[in-house]
Amino acid sequence: MSLRGRLSLLGVSAVLFAACSSGGGATTAPSIGPSVAPSAAGPRESALASVAPVAGGLLEKIAKAGKLVVSTDPKYPPQSELKPDGTFEGFDIDVATEIAKRMGVTVEFQTPDWSAITAGAWGGRWDVSVGSMTITVDRLKVLDFSPPYYYTPAQMAASTKSGITTLDGLAGKTICSGEATTYDQWLNGKLDYGTGQDLGKPPAGIKTTTLPTDTDCADQWKAGRFDFDGWLTSQTVVDGAIKAGIPLVKVGDPVYYEPLAVAVDKGGPDDSDFLPLLKTIVDDMHADGTLAAMSQKWFGADFTIDTSK
Amino acid sequence: MSHAGSYGPQEPVDVFLMQHPEVIVRDIAAARGRAKLQFRMLFVLTWLILVGGLVLAILSTGRIDFEFLGKWGPFILGGIPITIVVSVLSIFFAVIFAVLGALGRLSRISPVYATATLYVSLVRGTPLIVQVFFVYSALPEFGIVLPAFVAGVFALSFNYGAYMTEIFRAGIQAVPRGQVEAAQALGMTEAQVMRRIVLPQAVRIVIPAIGNEFIAMIKDSALVSFVGLQELFWRARTVGSANFQNFSTLMLAALIYWMLTIVFSLVQERLEKRMAEGEVRQ
Repeated sequence: MSLRGRLSLLGVSAVLFAACSSGGGATTAPSIGPSVAPSAAGPRESALASVAPVAGGLLEKIAKAGKLVVSTDPKYPPQSELKPDGTFEGFDIDVATEIAKRMGVTVEFQTPDWSAITAGAWGGRWDVSVGSMTITVDRLKVLDFSPPYYYTPAQMAASTKSGITTLDGLAGKTICSGEATTYDQWLNGKLDYGTGQDLGKPPAGIKTTTLPTDTDCADQWKAGRFDFDGWLTSQTVVDGAIKAGIPLVKVGDPVYYEPLAVAVDKGGPDDSDFLPLLKTIVDDMHADGTLAAMSQKWFGADFTIDTSK
Repeated sequence: MSHAGSYGPQEPVDVFLMQHPEVIVRDIAAARGRAKLQFRMLFVLTWLILVGGLVLAILSTGRIDFEFLGKWGPFILGGIPITIVVSVLSIFFAVIFAVLGALGRLSRISPVYATATLYVSLVRGTPLIVQVFFVYSALPEFGIVLPAFVAGVFALSFNYGAYMTEIFRAGIQAVPRGQVEAAQALGMTEAQVMRRIVLPQAVRIVIPAIGNEFIAMIKDSALVSFVGLQELFWRARTVGSANFQNFSTLMLAALIYWMLTIVFSLVQERLEKRMAEGEVRQ
């Protein structure tokens, strides 16, 4: 382990030690990373103080490793994509890096298949998913979630070749979406946030098809395959496809909004100590404007405002 | 065809040939040489036409984005060492599985024979992609969490080991019976016969087949992209999907896989010749 690794490990040990001690002690603990905004320091430390790390729990695992291992799907710009040097960039990457920074640990990314992330049973290979995952009833069975860190509009698109320009025009047509996505669930009338929120109905009589990841749908149109006329995905992804010159148009207003959150494996190490800390960090990042700034940077719009209210 | 130039100026051709049979042999050899050369030239020409046509067809789509490939080429090519390392390690462990499997298949102890037979049947009876998924995503349910790299190599070698079990079994059985009997006559135990006499000769017999399996392994290693190993196919696919450039990146990946298999086929050919040296009449 490098010296830097040792130092950050010491830092985390100090955080954990502070967490075990009284609240008064924690406020003076020099353990939080130097990059943390002073305005956010207060509430987080008090949260830390109220959380006792569970033996063998997730927080202990992260502290021991000195790093937060995050799963990401780099086929999903501008949330997550590769750079030619093999590192990652994007909104989710920034959010994950900031969460790790506020925990006082380094960040490391793993790139399993998206369907392997949503299925749970990660076997401890990575600690969290910062992958714009929608909180749904089905996923809540295998995953725990932070509060939403942003909300994206789900946008319907159609190939220009189809000539379709309205949502009603998609009735009876085939619509493509990514495998194991909430878009596929919504198209099949199965999307449920568990909050009783009305998410509307897909166009009448549609047929659905899926491809391994969202962008694959648009890539078929680019290649000249028109097995389907519609495509449902995040508005941010549709914008990216239009920018890349794919022959498609947005159809109608966003069909619904999705609360997107950090996910943790329910079957993994005990996360009862980690979740409250995660909630505090996400709440802080909302409160101090960090998330809004990142949203502006990557999407040119503020998607961090709660749309369910 | 006239022989006029080759023979004595005065004698009739048939008399000359009767006196000099070596000329006929030389002429036949020359004609065979010409036919061989012609065959090779036509081979190269046909390849040039077909491959050239294929390249032209691909380029004529106008979908190959060279600027994009220039930017991302180094990253995609960076997957080649990973693909090769995964393939080499997998074939190495597959050989170990295969030797054990073959010995089991030849065993006279029923439970050992049954286990080896079940291994071959189960592995050959399920798709490789399902096995990769099982090792990576289902084993954790039993508390066995293999890192992605280990999971990928294990799935590939376990799978290939089953196929190669039959190759090794055939190789062991192909060692002449007399060799075993001779060794037994010298007083060797069964284990000694296997280790000193049979296996070394069996290895020579199966090495060409292992080469073939290795070439197949290079291509099947693309399946471990599922577990997030950043080998050649994963890189081509991820970069392609994120930028709507799957056509460009997959064509590049296909070209690289093809080149890799050509290179290793040449290696394999040399190896095969070397291994057959003892059998060829000089």
